Parts: sequence; structure tokens; C-alpha cells
Amino acid sequence: MKKTLILVLALAGLAVAASAQGGTFKASLPVFTTSAGQSNDVNTVNIVMEEAEIKYDYCDVPTVEMIQAGVGLAGKKSGEGFHVESTTDPTKFPTGTAFKTVVFAIGASLKGMGASGLTVDAEEARVKSLIAYCKKNKILVVAIHVGGEATRGAAGSDNERMIDAVAPDADVLIVTKDSNKDGRFTKIADKTKAPLIQIDYALGLVDIMKTAFGV
Amino acid sequence: MKFDFRRAVIGLLAAAVIAGAGLTVFSQKDVSGDDLTLGPDRESCTVIMVGKAASTDGSTMTTHTCDCGVCDWTFGHVPAADHKPGSVRKIYHINQYVTFKEGTKWPYALTKGDTGFSIPEVPRTYAYHHGMFGYMNENQVAISESTIGTVRKLVNNTPSARIDLTMLSLLGMERSRTARECVEIMGSLAEKYGYGFDDDGEFFAVSDPNEVWMFEIMPVGPLWAPETGKPGAVWCAERVPDDQFAVCPNESRIGEVNLADKDHFLGSAHMVSFAVEQKLYDPASGQPFSWKRAYSPVADSAMSSGGRRSRLWRLLDLVAPSLKLDPNTPNMDQPFSVKPDKLISVQDVMNLTRDKSYGSIFDPVSGIRGGPFQNPNYYSGTRKVSVANSEYTSLVQCRGGLPNAIGGILWVVFGDQATACYMPLYAGITAVPKSFTVGDHYELNRASARWASDYVDFHTQVVYNQAIKDVQKAQLEYESAAVQAVPETDKAALALYAKSPAKAAEYLTKTCLAQADKIVAAWWDLGDRLLVKYNHMGFYDPEKRVREHVSLYDSTWQKAVKMVDTWIEK
Repeated sequence: MKKTLILVLALAGLAVAASAQGGTFKASLPVFTTSAGQSNDVNTVNIVMEEAEIKYDYCDVPTVEMIQAGVGLAGKKSGEGFHVESTTDPTKFPTGTAFKTVVFAIGASLKGMGASGLTVDAEEARVKSLIAYCKKNKILVVAIHVGGEATRGAAGSDNERMIDAVAPDADVLIVTKDSNKDGRFTKIADKTKAPLIQIDYALGLVDIMKTAFGV
Repeated sequence: MKFDFRRAVIGLLAAAVIAGAGLTVFSQKDVSGDDLTLGPDRESCTVIMVGKAASTDGSTMTTHTCDCGVCDWTFGHVPAADHKPGSVRKIYHINQYVTFKEGTKWPYALTKGDTGFSIPEVPRTYAYHHGMFGYMNENQVAISESTIGTVRKLVNNTPSARIDLTMLSLLGMERSRTARECVEIMGSLAEKYGYGFDDDGEFFAVSDPNEVWMFEIMPVGPLWAPETGKPGAVWCAERVPDDQFAVCPNESRIGEVNLADKDHFLGSAHMVSFAVEQKLYDPASGQPFSWKRAYSPVADSAMSSGGRRSRLWRLLDLVAPSLKLDPNTPNMDQPFSVKPDKLISVQDVMNLTRDKSYGSIFDPVSGIRGGPFQNPNYYSGTRKVSVANSEYTSLVQCRGGLPNAIGGILWVVFGDQATACYMPLYAGITAVPKSFTVGDHYELNRASARWASDYVDFHTQVVYNQAIKDVQKAQLEYESAAVQAVPETDKAALALYAKSPAKAAEYLTKTCLAQADKIVAAWWDLGDRLLVKYNHMGFYDPEKRVREHVSLYDSTWQKAVKMVDTWIEK
């Protein structure tokens, strides 16, 4: 009875299926990767996924509708300042399968936003709308910051605004140690109780992702 | 139906003008859909290289047209320094694509910034002049830059890459006595400490009075960490033959590599094995390893890119027309370098950096591309050597047979080369002009040399085909004079140098600063005069105090207007 109760509580309480256990967490496929701030850090995340042999769908500037469309992203194609990639195995997850996990690579780049025709305000609003959709639909939100101290900034700066847009609502935070030198992510994790995983280099993400997705 | 047809024609014309009018904005993201980090729509800097036996005076010359639009344009001088054993050199990340608030970049980047990483310092660091990159040191080692991009999976924007491109150039300046040594130092530091962060595939021309090297470097992907024990960069360098002229227009230029031939090649020992590991080269293909095809492939030709990748063909063709190079030839198949039909002078190189592709198949003012005043900056179909978003151009001239302090000259022109004036900074000077150290993109600063250039450039755009003649007249007066003054300055400096190198340095500093001040003042004055002369698109003669009634409009443009008017009437 006790075990059953614990199980029920666990299922109810961890609706988003995240749990931190010694620097690991659990996540489910299919997974979607994207950027919060249009820096090149999402490229790093995608390379990590490839190294970990995790198939994913990706778009740098997705709309809520694209995430809502699930695997295949409604057949959207890359264009100027807009990149789409779908590597998810359709035999395992047919087109339209709802995403279980969304990974945000946080990092603001004025050049990146400019290339996508976005202002900081527009990017912030866009990211927040994606986060809201994920929360509403119980999609696991993984926030990653691998840009380090140099891609942090003063309160209210572009980088910090992107952190504010994603991290407080993330179910899992993964950051490089030098991204968290000032303890910003620790404070957020303490407040939200989200697991915080700290790594030395992006390389450390590979095993974490393998474990998380059970590959 | 007839009405719709006319509307369509007018719409197409309007669209063509609008599309042509926009300047290409520097963009970080790939728009071509391929897996490269640099496509033709975001190409920026041009490097021109001249070997010592290809120049009129036996000097080597290279250029960096710093084409950006949002970058810092300030220059500085870093003195030589001795360092105690155990000293460390702080390593900074210095983003080349950022406008720093005026006067804040270099204090941060050179001494005051907070950094969590440092490397062992060398006993002595050499003096050098820098702009966005280190450009020339006291040993006449010089650098010019062009971004070439690489395959996306090699990009390493993570902090594991400790050294970015600007930092690499500064370290090269501080530590090298020859171009070859500079190449080897930069390559080994990048391998040891990891290269990338703000930068990816990059090109440096590295020169001294004897040699010009093409140095290309790539990061090795975001999963690199020092603990892997693997090199954190992969690089390659090839020497430009002494009697040759070469170009890097944001494209990798090094093909097959023979590392056993140390006179002509230097590079990472793992360049082939790493390419195989990354599936960028298949030895089973039967093709020899090609550095550029593996690490930074480009498929276009000048013609196939519609002129977007025409700089390589254009510049090679300008100096060696006898070769009759074909603009249809893919750029990767164009020659590594060419022997110019005529020896090339420093003024020739200055003029090459001003090239707007006039008279070529990619002429930006043919037809109505240039608008009513034949302005070459409206049409963005052709990627010209000289573009309006140039921050400045550095032209480094390394001359043998002279003490390094006198032999080396860093020529600097701010803004669009076509409307500005080159100014010399000798290698031995101990300060750069104050006007070179101030100003940013977002506030007009009358103490800034760059804003003086922009002031002229802005007023030239109004009635371009007329105003450019006034500018060229001023260039002839001031720039040609600066070039012609070099032998005299050399002579005076040499006489002082024989007695006291410090006195020679003092003289050169005073001379260069005075010359720059004079030219900057002349350019502000020229801007004023252009404003008056072409005010209200008129033609005011301040001497006669009359407004001349002359038609300034290009005749082709006028015909085109009449043609469109006729269509509308129909």
C-alpha cells in the first residue's frame, strides 16, 4: 500500500517526468530542440544529441503551432533565417506524434536574432509563448546554458532576459559551471526546485542526455 | 488584363530597385540551407596578398578590408614589455562583431577585463599596432584577416575554446619575430588551448618583409575539452610564392597540402586524420586530400553566384588580365595565386581595395542599377571589394633592407575606401593618432577619424557621380602625397636611427600623427564643401557664388523614368 501510494504521488507530482538523481534526469522521446535567444549554442545541443545518438526535431525559431504539430513540424522547410530539421525516426514516432521533451539552448545573439528578423522583445515573447505551451501540455522543458560566463550579462541584458524567459519554468536546468559562477542558476533552481546539473564542458552533456533518454 | 500587365511590369521594376537598393546586412545564420557557417550573403572581409617579387618596391603587402557595419573600429598601440618568470598572460574572449561603447574595448581586452583563464607569459612581448586584430608588430610581422567559415559541426562556441581569433592575433603579434614563427605560434596555441568561442573558420594572411603565408584555422567542434587530450584546433598554412598575387574573399584558399615541404606548408599533424574522423574526407574516394574541400567547401563561381562571389575572380583578373580567367570557373578551381602582368605598387593595392567592379560583367552601375546618380552602393547583387559597410581597411606593407621600425608601414583608411584617404603608421611609432582611438557607430564624434570619413561618404552618396570626382581630387592631393612622402620620411628616419632608434621612433610618431591629423581635418573640410556644393541636389559654386543649372542625372536613368512613365500612361 505504501509503495502504491508513493508511486501515485510520484506520478502526480512529477507529471513532467523529471527527476534529478546525482546529476541525471529522465526524459522521454520524441524530443524537440530549439534556441532561446538565437545564439549558436543550439548547434552545440544538436551536436550533443547526435553524439548521444538521440534523434530529434529542431527549429531555431519555431511557433507554438509547430510544436503543437509534433514530429515532422508540420512539414515546415528551412528558409532565410529559419532552420528546420527532423531526424526523429518516423517508424518509432510517426509524423504528428506529440513531443514529450523540449530542449531550449539559452543564449542571446543580436546577430542571430537579426538574421531571423527578431528583436529581443519579439524573441522573449516568442520563447515565453513556447514555454507556456509546454507547461500547459506537460511537456518536459530542459533548459541548457553552455555559453559560459562570457555569454552572461548584467540584469536586464539580452542574455539575462533569455534566462528569465526560460529558466524559472524549466523542469531541468543544465549549465556549465562557468555559466553559473554568480550562482544565478542555483538561485533559480532553489526557488523552483528544478534539478540543476552542472558540467565542466559541453562534452559532459553527452552522457547526461544518453542517460536521460535511456539510449 | 492590360492594366494588370502594366502594374506587374512597374511592380517588377520597383521590386528590382528596392531589392537592389538594400545593402547586404551581415548575418550570422546560414541562409543557403547547406551545412556551412558562411554563405555568400554574409561574406565580409577581403584579403589581398602581394609577394615581395610581385611588388614595385620589393615589399610584401596584404590588406584587411574590415567589412562589418556593427564592429569596433578603434586602433591602438601596445608597447613592448618584459615579463618576470612565472608571469601569466590573461586570455580574453573578444567578439569581433560587437560595437563596444566608445573607448571601452581595448582597455578591457588588453589589461582590465576579468578573465578566468591565463597562459604562461613569454619573457618579452613585442610592440604592435592593432585595430580589430593585431596588424603589425615591431618586427614587421603583419596580419590581415578574412572569415572563411567551416562545416557547422566543427563550430565550438563553448568556453572550452579558450582562444578566439582576435586573441590569437594579439598573441601572434606579441610573440613572433617572423611570419613563419607567427603562424606556428598561433597554430600551436590554438591546438593547446582550444580555438573558437566567438569565431569559427578563419583566415589570416601573415607576412614579413620576406614571406607571405596564408594561415587557415578551424575549431574542432563543441565537444572538445582539454581533458580529451586531443588538439583543440586544426590549421594549415601555405606560403604565397614571392612573385605572386593572391586573394582571400571569405573563402578557403588552400588545396592540396604537403606538410613534408616545410618551405611552403605548415599545419596540424592531424589535419587529414581529423577530416577522416569527421567524415569530411574519404581516402577511399581516390581523391587527394584537399584542405579547403574538406573543411570549408564552396561550390560557387563568380557567375553562378550572380556576382556574390565575384571578388576572387575580379581581383585576379584585374592584376593578371592576360590569363583570361573565366568567371564561370568554380572559385575552388581558380588558381591559388597568379603572377601579375605588371608589378604592383602600394597605390595599386589601395586602388584595388576601392574596386567597385566597374566595367566588369558585374558592374553595379550598368543600366539603372546605380540610380539617378550612378551610385555603386545601391546594387547589392555584386559583392564588390569596396563596400559601404567597411569599418576600415588596413594595408600592411613590410619592406626589407630597412630597420623594422622604418620598414613596416600600416596604412589605414576608415569607412568606404572609395571616399576616404589612406594614412600611414610606421611600425616604429609609439602611439597612434588620437582620432583613430575614438568613436562608435551610434554617436557622431567630431574627434574621430572614422566619422570624418563617414562625413565625406555620407555627402558623396547624395549626388554620387559628381561628388566622387571631388573626393578623388582630394585623394590625389592627400593620399598620393602621403605615398610620395615615404622615401623622404624613410631618409630622415634612417639618419636619426643611425644615431638613436628612439629618436627615429619619436620622429616617425610625430610625422605620422601630424599627417593623420592633417588628413582628418581635410576630410571634415571636404565633407563641409560637399554639403554646400550639392545642397538640395544642386550645384553650388562657392567661388563664383552661383548655382549652376546643370543636369546631374544619369541619362540612362532619365530614359528609364520616361519609359516607366509611358507604361503608366498606357
